Amino acid sequence: MKLRRTLRFHGLKKPRVRQTWNKYNLFNLANDRQALNTIGSNVKTFFQQKWAAKRLARGYHGEHIKERAWERMFDRRLLSVVNMEPRYMAQYDGSEQASGRGQGKAGSQESEILEKQRGSGKKTPYMQMAFAPMERRLDIAVFRALFASSARQARQFCVHGAVKVNGKRMKYPGYLLNPGDMFQVDPERVLFATGAKKDPAAVADALKPAEDSEAAPEAEASSDAEPPAEGEPTPEGASAAEPTEPAAAPEDPAKAERAELKALRDRVKGFLKTSFGDLSAKQKQSLRALSKDIKTAISKTKGGGEDIDGLSTLFSQLEVDTKEAESNRNAPDAEVDEQGLTRSERERLSELLAEESENPWDPDKPYATPWRPRPFMAPFVFIPRYLEVNQKICSAVYLRHPVARAGKAEVPSPYGELVNELAFNWYLRRR
Amino acid sequence: MRQWMQEYGEQFREHRSEGPKYLDDYRPFPNNKLFASEPVLGEDSRETIWRKVVQEGEAIKSVSANFGVDMRRVAAVVRLKEVEKAWEREGKKLATPYARAVMSMLPKQRLSEGQEFEPINEIHVHSYTQQQLFLPTSESRHFTREDAAKAFGDNILPADKRVPHPELINLEKDVLSGKSVEEAKEAFEKAAMESEVAAARKEQKRLLHEEKHTTKVNASRFEFRFKDINVDDVGKDGRSRQGTGWRYGVPFYDRRRGEIKIPTKVE
Repeated sequence: MKLRRTLRFHGLKKPRVRQTWNKYNLFNLANDRQALNTIGSNVKTFFQQKWAAKRLARGYHGEHIKERAWERMFDRRLLSVVNMEPRYMAQYDGSEQASGRGQGKAGSQESEILEKQRGSGKKTPYMQMAFAPMERRLDIAVFRALFASSARQARQFCVHGAVKVNGKRMKYPGYLLNPGDMFQVDPERVLFATGAKKDPAAVADALKPAEDSEAAPEAEASSDAEPPAEGEPTPEGASAAEPTEPAAAPEDPAKAERAELKALRDRVKGFLKTSFGDLSAKQKQSLRALSKDIKTAISKTKGGGEDIDGLSTLFSQLEVDTKEAESNRNAPDAEVDEQGLTRSERERLSELLAEESENPWDPDKPYATPWRPRPFMAPFVFIPRYLEVNQKICSAVYLRHPVARAGKAEVPSPYGELVNELAFNWYLRRR
Repeated sequence: MRQWMQEYGEQFREHRSEGPKYLDDYRPFPNNKLFASEPVLGEDSRETIWRKVVQEGEAIKSVSANFGVDMRRVAAVVRLKEVEKAWEREGKKLATPYARAVMSMLPKQRLSEGQEFEPINEIHVHSYTQQQLFLPTSESRHFTREDAAKAFGDNILPADKRVPHPELINLEKDVLSGKSVEEAKEAFEKAAMESEVAAARKEQKRLLHEEKHTTKVNASRFEFRFKDINVDDVGKDGRSRQGTGWRYGVPFYDRRRGEIKIPTKVE
């Protein structure tokens, strides 16, 4: 299907609110009065008002869906619910509402529960449900479940086969979800859609020094020795220990390994001494390098001599069981184990390593790593009640159709009753 | 725009604090006063629901009534949690950083017994009841909800039978009739369990019945399923929706060019 072009999609001169998490969209959403004035309820004819309202509303609700397709989906029956209070129903059988009317009783003394059941005088906003059938569409549900940053992107995910419904691939974005349907989106796509943009230049920069260090370790050591930026400590052990490594290399390999591990230990200590609290980007980078080095050290010393084992087991322990450290929390903090690290230092290190393994730096991903949410995401983040979402597995269940209840409507719409009512009247086809 | 961004919009660039941050308090759309971002279940609440249902074997209905969470939501939480646990067992990577970020931006509500998360006893407003109806009756008549349902239509059930938790009404009735709360609750738990078992049995019976009446043939790529059909399904005028296949005089657009056949359900 050919989609409408997105020229001036988030235009500022003729603003339209769209189903996206765009920065410009946020601005248009915040300054919506201007768009609402175009309806001009006191200058335009009724037909013109309906046209203007429909244009505004359709600019948001599934603007990528053809008008004909939407007209077919439109339904003039609007769903609403009433909550029945069990206590009221147990107490009364409904006859008390009519009793005495014939004798001229003006109004029955209604119980508090009945008042609550009726929504304490609030009206049910039926007109807000004008675009409820749209919310049944798979692509829009994927967008509502926060798995895509726009409805168009959600549509693309469906078409590209990244969305499953009840475990089966569903390539039609126009599939209408049935109550109880579970849809899943490929987590990689979700991370891409909701994550910050990758900066290729930064990735190239980050990759460069790693290659350099293999070629010329001395050069790196000297660069490490430079004075650190304010508030950002350099691991002292790193600069101190690394020059010793090439010197030890020509000698006995076991000795060299031990020296390497010692250097690592020093780096860990240097790191922990200085980096309690939140880490800066630079510090995280060095932590990443450290964890990589620890891994290689462990794999190198797997079959090594006994004298190295003490240190290597320390690192493997740190890697494998982070839980043990937690259980031993009550042990005296100052007690230094045989590897030369205090208990709190070990805990902190294992915590950091766990965080790193959960959200790793990976230049191959199409989004910025370690993953972080994209800018200007928070004001758009809400999940309507007709969906139940599990973010960890990027899956959601469409519980039921959206409904209106006293004082609230479940269809997420940027416009109030004025616009929605006029738009609903447009589609009634009696214009 | 630039000025607005500098003065006001910059605070939305990065989400630092815990909890939601919308343009207008708890409303993501400042011009729509009728839509608010409602709290979702937090991670620990989902875990609690899963534990209650799967490990402690409580009926979904009673979990729903205790925590004030819709029955369908309870079932969905359990279903999603099961998938999550399966992924963990398989060693599949979960989108944990994403989950953490999104949960920090959403309003959350902790579950506690006796506190309502959402209305659980809702019934749809039946379209027959949406029109005004004048029904002449005697003044002395005891006109109950049952009578009202009958007046609106022949096949409309009264509200007492349409609510998702009729057991809760019985609980309240028990309490009103002087039973102790513990006793009433016990009876409620029992009734909830019974109704769940009955529903499961009914569903199983339906599946068995369906299986009995379909013949399955395994081909190399497909499984063919044959069902018995009845020619009388087309009805008296031959136009009933229940009828199968092409019928004389009834348009059948199945093979028309450009006809899109999006599935209507996935099982």
